[in-house]
Amino acid sequence: MIAIRELRKSYNSHEALKGISFNIKEGEFYGLLGPNGAGKITTISIMSSILTPDSGEVLINGNNIYTHPNESKKIIGVVPQEIALYNDLTAEENLWFWGGLYDVPKTELKNRIDEVLTLFGLFERRKDKVGAYSGGMKRRINIAAALLHQPRIVFMDEPTVGIDPQSRNLIFEVIEKLHSKEMTIVYTTHYMEEAERFCDRIGIIDNGQIIAEGTLDELKKSSNAKETIVITFNNLNDDKVQKIQSFWKDCNHAEDKIYFYTSDLKTELSKIISQCNDAGAEIHNIEIKKVNLETVFLSLTGKQLRD
Amino acid sequence: MIKLAIKDLKLFFKDKRSMLLSFALPIALITLFALAFGGVGKGKKDTKISMQVSDLDQSPSSASAMQVLDSLKNVELLKVPLEKAQENIKKGDEACVLVIHKGFSDSLNTGKELPLELQYDEAQEMQVGLLQQSLIPTIAMLPFNIGNPKAAMRNRFDSMVPGASDTVKQSIQHKSDGLFDAISMGEMQSDGSDDTGAGLFGGDIKMTKLVAAKKDNSLGLVQAVAGTAVMMLLFSVVGIGAGILDEKQEGTLKRLLYTPMNPIKILFGKMISANVISIFQLVVMFLFASLVFGLDIYSHFTPLVITIIATAFACSAFGVFLASFAKSRQQVQGLSTLIILVMSAIGGSMMPIFFMPAFMQKIAVISVNFWSIQSFYDIFWRNLPITSGTFLSRILVLLLIGTILNSLAVVLFRKNILKLS
Repeated sequence: MIAIRELRKSYNSHEALKGISFNIKEGEFYGLLGPNGAGKITTISIMSSILTPDSGEVLINGNNIYTHPNESKKIIGVVPQEIALYNDLTAEENLWFWGGLYDVPKTELKNRIDEVLTLFGLFERRKDKVGAYSGGMKRRINIAAALLHQPRIVFMDEPTVGIDPQSRNLIFEVIEKLHSKEMTIVYTTHYMEEAERFCDRIGIIDNGQIIAEGTLDELKKSSNAKETIVITFNNLNDDKVQKIQSFWKDCNHAEDKIYFYTSDLKTELSKIISQCNDAGAEIHNIEIKKVNLETVFLSLTGKQLRD
Repeated sequence: MIKLAIKDLKLFFKDKRSMLLSFALPIALITLFALAFGGVGKGKKDTKISMQVSDLDQSPSSASAMQVLDSLKNVELLKVPLEKAQENIKKGDEACVLVIHKGFSDSLNTGKELPLELQYDEAQEMQVGLLQQSLIPTIAMLPFNIGNPKAAMRNRFDSMVPGASDTVKQSIQHKSDGLFDAISMGEMQSDGSDDTGAGLFGGDIKMTKLVAAKKDNSLGLVQAVAGTAVMMLLFSVVGIGAGILDEKQEGTLKRLLYTPMNPIKILFGKMISANVISIFQLVVMFLFASLVFGLDIYSHFTPLVITIIATAFACSAFGVFLASFAKSRQQVQGLSTLIILVMSAIGGSMMPIFFMPAFMQKIAVISVNFWSIQSFYDIFWRNLPITSGTFLSRILVLLLIGTILNSLAVVLFRKNILKLS
């Protein structure tokens, strides 16, 4: 449904996108992850045709969005990261305004406004000014405003930043409903659990390039991410650390803990425990960290997602 | 576009600060200025005041009289044919014309009252009053400077005692000749600065209102309403224009760009709302002046509507232009305060421009305030018909200013605002 071809974009001497390409299928939930400054916002801005690339193209259903901008915009809904609403208008007035810009017929729009207000649990507060809403309620209206024209594609740029758990859960429910209705969703987030929960496929962007792409399992397999055994000791000193490091090279020492990295947890765990005992180090606690998106991301980019 | 405008109007009427700036503050200022302008015109000004002179006598004496008048330090003499001079007054370009009627030379030589007439625009009564202060003593001394002083004095004394016997008259003539001799020995002043003789020897000029305002519309009131309304309108439209920058800062502009709407329509929507609010604001101002101060707006309804629309168009274009030019609301506020105060000062919002020096009056034309206030003067003071070339030319200038500023705003909006978002 969406084809990104060799997108390049520079700001003065800084090359924000270095020829990225990827495809998104109809009805797919695609996660675009990357550290700050990786090129996510530039990519989303180009995909929603408010920014022109230096070269490359974005095709939606085979149509270049720059030759058919209005047709593309009519089927795209964008949930911006910032709460882009008029605080002095009520929630209902905001929705009338934003929905009206897509030429939705009045009676139809009225029904849709009532529908989204109910969906997001804000029907009773529809006459309140948005400025009087909590952060979570604003986030909900921010998403609702992007759905009124019933887009087939939705770009969601960190839609759950800084909100309370109740609002987050409500938004999650709505997102799952949208996904179940075969809506194509492109999602950026800093929350790994959200990406793991929703995304059919994930593209990891770093330094203006897609460095990995696939399902979560595919990413785990393709990355060099290892499971981590974190052992806390009671009597750790330099001598004991040296002895342990002499038999297990792939580890890191921090205070009273040693992080052991392994690709075969089942067979290696007992071996590590036995050799720690041999070195005279008294084990206080053992924690096992399995491979997840966070560790995949770290191994691919060398950065935490929040960097 | 219309939806944007409606949204902006909703936001405007919900914003208490905008309402205060647009309505309450101007009303308070109009009240203040209207009361203050009641005492205007009593002070002296040292600036040169222009005065047209039409010489219908065309005699060496009238030429000499003009030379004397031309030597006055605070009067700039403009020799203009009567018809042209009257037209200038009706247009509001000049305040008055001193007409030297036929028979001036004879009157001067026989000592009769001089056939001088000052035709003037009542709207500029204060300027004319200042002129009179310079003219009367000078004209009173004309017989001594360029005429037959003895005859003049005899005639004046005669006229002062019309029923006196011949013996008394002869006695007076004898005394007046003696007084003339005393004056001619050195006490006479020729530059008009000594007005001791003025009261005694006349210097009266026939005063004719060439342009008279209706009783309901005093100069102070029109000045207060028009001057304040235009100045405050400029401040409030700048606030509306700066809404574009707020939208940019708050992310709503970017969100608007995500929609299928043509980006330039965002600016057009802002222009529409600025125009509607401007018109509404001016209407409220003039209704207030009508209800509270009795300004007669109903007998000038059509030209008033035209002027309000043209003023709103020019002022709102100024606001949108400034917002497109600036990069932040703070920048707009700084720039607008400076520009609006300067434009208001030179354009006649703070005081009538005929109080200002000649060079200031010339540069006033660069101000939106000038064209707008003059149009309101045309309506309420000069009573110019709607078909008057003078009135229409001012309206045309306002529309032209609006068109140019709007066009520049479009270019700057594409270059600054859209690029930055």
